[in-house]
Amino acid sequence: MSARCVAHIDMDAFYVSVELRRRPELRGKPVIVAGRGPRAVVTTASYEARRYGVGSAIPVSVARRLCPQATLVAPDFAHYRAVSAQVMGIIRSHVETVEVVGLDEAYLDLTDLPAPKACMRLVLTEIAERTGLSASVGIGPNKLVAKVASDAEKPRGFLVLTRREACERFAASSCRLIPGIGERTAERLGLLGVRTVAELAGADPGLLRGEFSSWTTAHLQALARFEHDGAVTQERKVVSESRERTFDRDISDRIELEASLATLVDELCEALSDQRRSGRTVAIKVRLADFTTHTRAQTLAIPVRQREDVGRVALALLRAFTPARPVRLLGVRVAGLASDHAAAEQLALTL
Amino acid sequence: MKIELEREDFLTQLQAAVRVASTRSAIQALSGVMIAAVSGSCELRATDADMSLRVPLQAQVTREGSVVLPARLLMDVMRSLPRSSVKLELRPAEGDVEVLSGNASFHLRTLHAEDFPPLPAVDSDAGLTLPLGAFVETAAKVLGSASRDETRPVLTGILVSASGHEVRMVATDSYRLSVKTTQLATQLAHTFEVNVPARALQELARLAAHSEDEELSISVRQNQVVFAIGSTVLSSRLIDGQFPNYRQLLPETFVQELRFDGAELREVVRRVSLLAQKNAPLRLAFAEGELTISAQTPDIGEARESLPAPFHGEAFEIGFNPEFLREGLDAVGEAEVIVKLISPLRPGLLESGDGSGFVYLIMPIRLNV
Repeated sequence: MSARCVAHIDMDAFYVSVELRRRPELRGKPVIVAGRGPRAVVTTASYEARRYGVGSAIPVSVARRLCPQATLVAPDFAHYRAVSAQVMGIIRSHVETVEVVGLDEAYLDLTDLPAPKACMRLVLTEIAERTGLSASVGIGPNKLVAKVASDAEKPRGFLVLTRREACERFAASSCRLIPGIGERTAERLGLLGVRTVAELAGADPGLLRGEFSSWTTAHLQALARFEHDGAVTQERKVVSESRERTFDRDISDRIELEASLATLVDELCEALSDQRRSGRTVAIKVRLADFTTHTRAQTLAIPVRQREDVGRVALALLRAFTPARPVRLLGVRVAGLASDHAAAEQLALTL
Repeated sequence: MKIELEREDFLTQLQAAVRVASTRSAIQALSGVMIAAVSGSCELRATDADMSLRVPLQAQVTREGSVVLPARLLMDVMRSLPRSSVKLELRPAEGDVEVLSGNASFHLRTLHAEDFPPLPAVDSDAGLTLPLGAFVETAAKVLGSASRDETRPVLTGILVSASGHEVRMVATDSYRLSVKTTQLATQLAHTFEVNVPARALQELARLAAHSEDEELSISVRQNQVVFAIGSTVLSSRLIDGQFPNYRQLLPETFVQELRFDGAELREVVRRVSLLAQKNAPLRLAFAEGELTISAQTPDIGEARESLPAPFHGEAFEIGFNPEFLREGLDAVGEAEVIVKLISPLRPGLLESGDGSGFVYLIMPIRLNV
């Protein structure tokens, strides 16, 4: 068996680029795709807008201040999904094993291809010709190297790295560079004096074990050495589905909060019903006015997706939590999802 | 307060107390454990407002008094100490407790002892004495069937009734129902029927496992039950509301009554269940002289295995949640198991064949094909 070869393809500023196809007059100008409302956040910004410091997830009010001349465009997810399907279709016509991880990202298994680089050039050319969109590609011996490589030279990046080259190139980068090392973990590493990828890779495991479990220690250090053995799987298993809403103003009224929860439950259950999936865990997420985020979850004996079941549990979780401050964001999630088996309806005793 | 004790003994008791201490209460003292050294003896107390525990501590008491310390922190400190002998002393001026062991010293700030509620004591007059082993084994058989769904509180409890020569416990999450009746050698002095939170009985079972006592005393008053094993006292709030009338739920007659070797059936179910993932049901197909158990998970695979069965009549297939069926068979244990069935959409019943008084009613899964 030949050594694994994985590519990560990531569309450049996908939502903005799709919008620019419809509105070519905005090309070369700062464009921000974002929802409306006083608390909306930026979904994507064009590279021109990014130069002003506008990035994903920052509040629109802040983005406007950073870049007042930017054009704001409301997101049209139905359209993005359609374009995404077209892009993924092109990729699939060249590569057999494709793991789609979002509307604008996919991992490709190139192991058995005679000329992986040439193949990816061809994929990029065809995407550009047929959709007018550009993408960045990273190629490496595993998903981790491929992902980091695709991100390193955006937009229109094309970077091929061995594991060793990745270690050298990113040695001085912050640990945050590595997917899977979030803000919290980086903070905890920082307390131990570990800040860069190389420092993490070379750290004494004994030192890390003071702060992390031995499993986590081994895992983090493997990541820092760019070791990763996850396979590219055809089907991305979405194991949870959620709906959440940031309110235009903080809500402290219980009735209003519960009504909002009911709406979220309705939306979520409708989606689950369309997908014919149900899950055993129901959870709520509450972000309070002080920005602290709390989650509460309950795992049930059998999987649910009916509005009554999900709603009943979510409501009980919310009531038991009784927010101590006004609520900024409310969310509901059903996890542990699996397709409804064609032949499964658990009967219950009439109590 | 000033006491000296052995680390190992303290840790064992502390572990039990930590499980009871609250993890999410607005009252900080409830996340702590109280060390109470009064009238020459010493004990550890913990409560989360629903359940409370008092466990004795073997300690040399130099000065009496009570303190409340953060439960988890105290446990972490105790675990880490270098020597087996530990001294704890309250320093009222500093508002902390000094922990000394070998050359190590810790000062732990105390929590507000006045916020810590008084815990119920054993009411020896109203009490009832039962063999501890029999009581806990009865609970263990039915605990798995109690609901964890807090939206229906009444089902999160175990209905415990005691009268005459019998203790009976019932639990149901509406998908299955367990009933275990245990005969006692002696006549009980009182009778009672209460709905005890499953969590409290689970804790009682844990305490019993570490105890050499053979007797359990139970007293019930208003909305509370108090269990005592020696000087260990576990109390719990009772669950309000009407527990379902389980007698009505048990069918009076069945069409099929089949005997199986419990261990064998359990093994087959366990094997085939490996391929009943993602909510897929386990299928039990009965035909003349044979039972075939099968499972199929789309995109994963399928499994089937047959075993001889004393079945006569028209062949039929019934579906069960693999987890529910496995838990029922596990509760029956090694004994012969009697499987009673009516039809594919009616409840099935597992009964231990050794006359030990255990029945497990299980609702089927509707099979469309």
